[in-house]
Amino acid sequence: MRRAPLVPALVFTIVVTQIPFLLTLYYSVQSWNLVRPGSQRFVWFENYVSVFADSQFRGVALNTIIMTLGSVIIAVILGLLLALLLNRHFIGRGVVRTLLVTPFLITPVAAALLWKTTLLDPTYGLINFVLSPFGASGTDWVSTFPLASVMASLIWQWTPFMMLLLLAGLQSMPGDQVEAARVDGAGAWAIFVELTLPHLRRFLELGIVLGAIYLVNTFDAVYMITQGGPGTASANLPFYIYQRAFLGFDIGQSAAMGVVVVVLTIIVATFALRLVFRSFGAAGSES
Amino acid sequence: MAEVVFDQASRIYTPGATPAVDKLDLTITDGELVVLVGPSGSGKSTALRMLAGLEPIDAGSVRIDGRDVVDVPSKDRDIAMVFQSYALYPAKTVRENMAFPLKMRRMDKEEQAKRVADAAELLGLTDYLDRKPKALSGGQRQRVAMGRAIVREPRVFLMDEPLSNLDAKMRVQTRSQIASLQNRLEVTTVYVTHDQVEAMTMGDRVAVLRDGALQQYATPSELYDRPVNAFVAGFIGSPAMNLLDLRRSGDGVTLGGMEIPLHREVRDAAGSADTVTVGVRPEDLALDSDGSGGGVKAVVDVVEELGSESYLYAHMAEDEATTLVVRGPGRTNVRYGETIALRVDADAVHAFDASTGARLA
Repeated sequence: MRRAPLVPALVFTIVVTQIPFLLTLYYSVQSWNLVRPGSQRFVWFENYVSVFADSQFRGVALNTIIMTLGSVIIAVILGLLLALLLNRHFIGRGVVRTLLVTPFLITPVAAALLWKTTLLDPTYGLINFVLSPFGASGTDWVSTFPLASVMASLIWQWTPFMMLLLLAGLQSMPGDQVEAARVDGAGAWAIFVELTLPHLRRFLELGIVLGAIYLVNTFDAVYMITQGGPGTASANLPFYIYQRAFLGFDIGQSAAMGVVVVVLTIIVATFALRLVFRSFGAAGSES
Repeated sequence: MAEVVFDQASRIYTPGATPAVDKLDLTITDGELVVLVGPSGSGKSTALRMLAGLEPIDAGSVRIDGRDVVDVPSKDRDIAMVFQSYALYPAKTVRENMAFPLKMRRMDKEEQAKRVADAAELLGLTDYLDRKPKALSGGQRQRVAMGRAIVREPRVFLMDEPLSNLDAKMRVQTRSQIASLQNRLEVTTVYVTHDQVEAMTMGDRVAVLRDGALQQYATPSELYDRPVNAFVAGFIGSPAMNLLDLRRSGDGVTLGGMEIPLHREVRDAAGSADTVTVGVRPEDLALDSDGSGGGVKAVVDVVEELGSESYLYAHMAEDEATTLVVRGPGRTNVRYGETIALRVDADAVHAFDASTGARLA
């Protein structure tokens, strides 16, 4: 009875997560297109077979991997460079830090819009303006490099997060170890490779895992900047499923894709979460 | 092997304020173990860090074997340092920790392995070479830090309170190990501590610092027998020397109605001053057992029984504010509240100027 007050929360959680999932499982074994009323029928695993036979789905899955890992890794590298910079003393450090953090505080949709229009627009975009002295003009970034354009906005948003995480890591580094290394004959690069990187390991792991968990679900940036196009060149799985369900009205197909994605995500997340908990465990036992 | 010279070396954190290290002059000869000792804030660690290259030298110079190192970075000074926190590299094994300075000097792999093995053997760490520092006890970590310093075979060892994180027993044990290791390796060593017992037992010579200024630089026995001022007199020795501001009278000073004679040279040096700071070590106050022969009367506040000897903390019978520490025999039968009579060994009295604290003759 002690846990009785928690029951409403449990019921709520079941209603909003488990029932939709069961319904999705049910839809995924139906052939059901909303445009053709009365077409609903039970088809066993036909939908799953066509998901795996769908070359677009495979292409989109590859896009998702490139978009997620590419954005996370580039954001981590840039975040590490900025964190190393901010870990030094210079005049105006507080202001610089605040300015560098702001992209993370912007609503993702607004950030995507900012990139699509203000920065990447072929006629009045700032990127073309800045590059114009070097001979570039009129490049339509969004249609020429659709996946890279989406990734640019994601990286811009996520670099500050990585930077803050790694800055916290750098600031928790014991100064006497660096001094010992200097006396032992290590130069700046050796200190970075031999001491800083091992110390930052668990911060890097945490940043990569958290970043990947969020970015694999990206929808807003794709929707705002490219609508997944041209074709499916910049579509990722969440956007493709959305297209199939709400633009193609193919409930059965999109439900099957959703299930496949959930299973894949669970497999990846199990390993990813284990990594996070291992790094927390290591942190705990060290102190 | 090297001679280390501090030549008017200063470290000034904020211009205008008292320097952390003020015009330090110190010559440490080849193979010597010199201890820098002083209370916190005396600048002893700063002086060591200046020698290590971890603090800039703002004025004067520091020379290692005649070479001015003011502008030489740490890594090129050929020194090795043991830190108070040991500063072991947590992600590396004991072996990698000890090999690190050699690796940084791109030493041949075989030679690295040989030197690490030798040092591990010497320090009893052979069985722990593949452990990470967090899997070691405090004493073992301390030895790894020592090992990391000795594999280098540097010109100078620097040790910054290396024993302060050990328990009392380990500290005494490690103290003698370090001293014998240093004797064997014959490497010039500068050792910083706030513990005057460590300073006295380990140092070939001891430099006493206070507020960034060198007070006295001498052998332990000279520091003990002829402290140059009241600060050194009170700092060296445990329990501390009794320091009393006493009035002049006739050929000496009066303590509790008794006259303690002062030597002619002391009287001459004191000139016309009417008070003199007199220092008497606890062992130079003799307990007048039957109390019949006069002597200074004092009331016992605390008895510290150590077995082989005892220390009596007492205050003067006629003046509560004046306290004295007296060394008594072991298993003493003196108890709290008893009145004891004390005799002062006039030859063992130190006298200092009451205002400047400087030694009088």
